[in-house]
Amino acid sequence: MNKWKKKQPATIRQFKRPNLAGDGFGGRAGFFLSRAITNIRQNVFVNVVTIGTITLALLIVSLFLLIFVNLENATDSLSERVQVTVYFDNELTSQDQAMYREKIMVLPGVSRVSYVTRDEALKRFKSRLRGQETLLEGVGAEILPTSFEIALKRSHRETVSVENFVTALKRIPGITEVQYGEEWVRRFNSFLNILRLLGALLGGFLVIAATFIVSNTIKLTIYSRRDELDIMSLVGATRFFIKAPFLLEGLIQGVVGSTLSVVLLYGLYEGFLHNAGSFLTFNPASSGFSFLSLEYIAGLLLAGAVLGFVGSLTSLKRFVNV
Amino acid sequence: MIQLHNVSLAYQHDASALNNIDLKIGKGEFVFLTGPSGAGKTSLLRLLYGALTPNRGQVLIDGQNITRMTASQIPLLRRSIGVVFQDFKLLQNRTVFENVAIALEVLGWGRADIGKKTMHILKQMGIESKYNQTTQRLSGGEQQRVALARALVNDPKILLADEPTGNLDDANKNQILNIFKEANIRGTTVVVATHDRRLIEQSHKRLVTLNKGEIVEQVEKETAGYDQAI
Repeated sequence: MNKWKKKQPATIRQFKRPNLAGDGFGGRAGFFLSRAITNIRQNVFVNVVTIGTITLALLIVSLFLLIFVNLENATDSLSERVQVTVYFDNELTSQDQAMYREKIMVLPGVSRVSYVTRDEALKRFKSRLRGQETLLEGVGAEILPTSFEIALKRSHRETVSVENFVTALKRIPGITEVQYGEEWVRRFNSFLNILRLLGALLGGFLVIAATFIVSNTIKLTIYSRRDELDIMSLVGATRFFIKAPFLLEGLIQGVVGSTLSVVLLYGLYEGFLHNAGSFLTFNPASSGFSFLSLEYIAGLLLAGAVLGFVGSLTSLKRFVNV
Repeated sequence: MIQLHNVSLAYQHDASALNNIDLKIGKGEFVFLTGPSGAGKTSLLRLLYGALTPNRGQVLIDGQNITRMTASQIPLLRRSIGVVFQDFKLLQNRTVFENVAIALEVLGWGRADIGKKTMHILKQMGIESKYNQTTQRLSGGEQQRVALARALVNDPKILLADEPTGNLDDANKNQILNIFKEANIRGTTVVVATHDRRLIEQSHKRLVTLNKGEIVEQVEKETAGYDQAI
């Protein structure tokens, strides 16, 4: 055996001692990446179909997300109106004001407390009755109550929290009359709950449908290339070696698809939607129809990458059985 | 090199494909497997490269019992076995070079070595001028030579062929047979499944005949007739 080895010509021996295509992770990853890119170039049609499907599926989901996020923003600005008012018959001294303010600020959920003097109250009353000022003839500031207006934090604006807050407020000695528009708060919150439930249901269905369509498209494209998988396993490729380029391809398809969907969404937004602000805002002071925040865009890109990668992974599981 | 002990194989919902097969093929041997369609030739070959696992019995390749191999060990086994088929099984949208190089890429060879070795084997097969053509533009004979180049490029210990000349004309059949013989001379054990009687008679090699999943006749090589059944 040794004798035979010695007789081997030098040219053959060099083939027997190959350098590895890439030592370590970097070289291997580079090899798989170049293989994935070659695959994409050689299967343009299949890749266009997959990327197109991912783009459309994510565009539908992101369009829904855009509308839902804006609705949420609109209701958020509306919820600013959830406000608790404490009335006093007399004008409070500055010490009393400070004392009450301190006691109220200690309560959980308070975001802002402002004192409304009699003069300020009269001014507001007048502005509300603009055009009918004659009704106020002879009315002085002294008949109006003074008050503390308390704005609540976002997390404390639902019905139960508001009620708890009012109960706690009434325990402060000296505070007797509290108003917070119970009926309005209740209705507003049930509207919000229905909106969120509908959003979650519709969004959930959309995400499931999108995942289903994308994963089936990827399955079909991998099925159309099962010969390649067979040949790779025939020449002794390990499962990882066969799968890695396909997984990278899926990842690239996912990222490209989701990037395209974000670009298209921005086009739609610029073209049609951002003028539709007044449509959705109940509060003229709110900022109007805005585009998705960076977090959501990053989330969409990530969703595309995950969709492509996991779609390929599950499909390959079916076809690669070395 | 190849040993089958009491091997039986049955597909689901089907009669047994192979029944009590006992077969020994020595290192450097050249064996033809023959028999009518459905005799079990392809099943037997598939057992040898680990694409199927027998329901009973043992399959030993180069001393290793492949029926006990894990799924992750099978690829390593296949690196020492070259396989060719009647339908060539080439990547249609890739070039001749890429089709052959894939067998070396799998082994983790460097780019330069892959280039040298691939061109070397293509030269041996007489198709080095077509290295940059996609395989779908080649004739049947040329495609089978690409498949053979891929099977032989990493100097396998065993070469398995399933009806390798089924789609070829006589001139190409002879060329392919010569390539098998040359590989055999260099030390590769060759097993060819075929029902091409002319190919078998021309070669004067050991012949194993299967029928209905059983070995019905074995003829040692370079005998004048078929009367020396073992």
